Amino acid sequence: MKPSIIVSDFVASIKTWLRSKGTLFWTIAFPIILILIFGAIFSGMGEVEYELYVQDLDDSEMSHTFIEILEGTGVIKIINVSSEKNITSFIEEENIKRLLVIPQGYGETIIQSFIDHNVSVNISFYFDPSEQSSSQVVRSIISDVVLSMNMNMTGGRNIVGIKDISTITEDFNFIDFFLPGMIGFTIMQTCIYGSIERNTKFRKDGILRKLLTTPITRSEWIFSKMLFMLFLSFVSTILIILVGVLVYNVSVNINLTMIVIIIATSFLFSGLGMIIGRFVKEEETADTAGGAISFPMMFLAGTFFPLDQMPEFLQEFARILPLYYVNEGLRNAMIYLNQSEAVINTIYVLIFASVFFIAGVLLTKWKED
Amino acid sequence: MIKQRFKCPSCQKIVTHSGNPGEPKTVYCPYCGSKGRVIFSSLEPKEDLAIEVSHLKKVYGDLIAVNDISFGIKKGEIFAFLGPNGAGKTTTVEMIESIREPTAGTIKILGKDIKTQFNDVKKDIGILPQEFLSFERLTVRETLVYFSKLYKKRADIDNIIEAMDLKSHEKMLYRNLSGGLKQRVGVAIALVNNPEIVFLDEPTTGLDPKARREVWQVIANLRDKGKTVFLTTHYMEEAEYLADHIAIIHKGKIIAEGSLDELTTKYGQGSILHIKDCKNSNALGILKEKGFDVTSEGNDDLAVKIDYKDRVLEILSDLRHECIEYGSVDIRRSNLEEVFLYLTGSKLSEGE
Repeated sequence: MKPSIIVSDFVASIKTWLRSKGTLFWTIAFPIILILIFGAIFSGMGEVEYELYVQDLDDSEMSHTFIEILEGTGVIKIINVSSEKNITSFIEEENIKRLLVIPQGYGETIIQSFIDHNVSVNISFYFDPSEQSSSQVVRSIISDVVLSMNMNMTGGRNIVGIKDISTITEDFNFIDFFLPGMIGFTIMQTCIYGSIERNTKFRKDGILRKLLTTPITRSEWIFSKMLFMLFLSFVSTILIILVGVLVYNVSVNINLTMIVIIIATSFLFSGLGMIIGRFVKEEETADTAGGAISFPMMFLAGTFFPLDQMPEFLQEFARILPLYYVNEGLRNAMIYLNQSEAVINTIYVLIFASVFFIAGVLLTKWKED
Repeated sequence: MIKQRFKCPSCQKIVTHSGNPGEPKTVYCPYCGSKGRVIFSSLEPKEDLAIEVSHLKKVYGDLIAVNDISFGIKKGEIFAFLGPNGAGKTTTVEMIESIREPTAGTIKILGKDIKTQFNDVKKDIGILPQEFLSFERLTVRETLVYFSKLYKKRADIDNIIEAMDLKSHEKMLYRNLSGGLKQRVGVAIALVNNPEIVFLDEPTTGLDPKARREVWQVIANLRDKGKTVFLTTHYMEEAEYLADHIAIIHKGKIIAEGSLDELTTKYGQGSILHIKDCKNSNALGILKEKGFDVTSEGNDDLAVKIDYKDRVLEILSDLRHECIEYGSVDIRRSNLEEVFLYLTGSKLSEGE
């Protein structure tokens, strides 16, 4: 492998990229616009009906009435949780976004409050702060119900209070969820379409035939193009992080796992692009094929919204999509700082990257039939 | 009897003559009519061959695209591979360029078998693929620098720009060039490694007549620089204008091969001298008596078949000697279209 050839090709790629306004737009402006628009839209998004898990440890007439009042609002759908469940592990295992615990002695305390004015009881509201908007809606409904109960029973004295418990130690909101997804999605788009262009347009224009007759080897060419793809991936990542930090005040952690995921993702989707480019020869058809694969993946892999908002079978389907592991890996590495989860997802991404990239390289050929 | 090519000292054109090995012979240049004496080699030296193709075959399923063809191209000549679209030209040239795998046959470039030694050959060849378009957003100079950096042996970019008359366009982006300029850049790219052999696959297809002429001039200049040129074309005028040696391919087979003169003499009517308004009724008889193949075309016009241009002077001096007057003369040579028509029963343009 000759470094001078690789450098020469890399420099030519950068020049070409800088001179193409369209490509520059799609690589730089498009992800920024997307993150601004989607960030604004999804941050304020609400639901029509909100699920609320309730563990009634009191199981009294008073607690039943309280639950009925909540359900009577028509906005909350109550799902009962057995009193035997350990709440902390239940929330973690089932990925529960909102849960209310009515403590044992709830009804008794209320009855006693008519005699003893100093007693009170707290119900506990567990919520996922990354689902900020919906959690706030449910919290305010519970709060209203509690307030009116206190008013009716005592004329305003607080017998029942609400204790808020966040299910995640730090405060996260939608943009924290969205930003890593945006990075994964942008790298996917850049690398798939970049590979497709090299394998269809350059073939159609005779550039690959020409190169075949020059001393540059296929591995030198692929290596230099991968350098360029990595360059684009890091440019996009830096831009998205800058917008996230400056506009939405996202707290981002840059670490080795994240860098490994970005590199592996570039190889993964470049490989996928090579495979598409190998089988779909016409430039226009190849772009459509690229879109047909990348767009559903974008929506189904939890790029823009959490998977648990999708039907069960789609959630299962997402787990075979490489972008899902990219998104989850980046989220855990950059935002949630859950390194063990990040590493597991990174391993998945590395496996996908190896398979797709090796297949892509093997399938890419310059020779004509 | 062997055929051998010689360069005419007067007009510099490459001409082919037949003769016995080792035997001196007086010959006439078919282009300028000048007379000269040549000695035929005792053996046609193989090392003079830039490209040697033997029993080349390419089969796609039931289709035989190239059917057992063999030919040799000498160093320093422009070889035109002429045929209609779909005849097998590009398949053949791309097998020689190692872009396609032959089904059978051997190909040698500068004596090296490309199946095993193509990497050694790359430095000696320059290629302009069919319908080639380079990187859209590099300038002409950047494009040439890019391709030249792929080679250890590099030609001087400034010299190439100069020779291809690209100086005023060197800072233009490739995408903004006209079709003719793009082809000129394509030829320039093929020269960045100062190759011995240049392959040009349909270099003027889609160009307007002016741009085509410009590219022709560029190709003619390559011969002057001693390059061997393998030119594929379906334009007979291109082959007639440029080629020293022509092979006509039709339905995957080479149906004729030789210089323009050889082909037109063998398969066409050769050259005809038309003598107009020759009112003397004895002219026909006099020329016949002198051994010329002459026919009357009516209206006092005569048509005389000629082998070489200097025969024209001989005929005209004979007429003057006999005090026979005439209005005007013109010479019309058979063209490759007639050759193709004779060989295939269809016109070259109809064979597409």
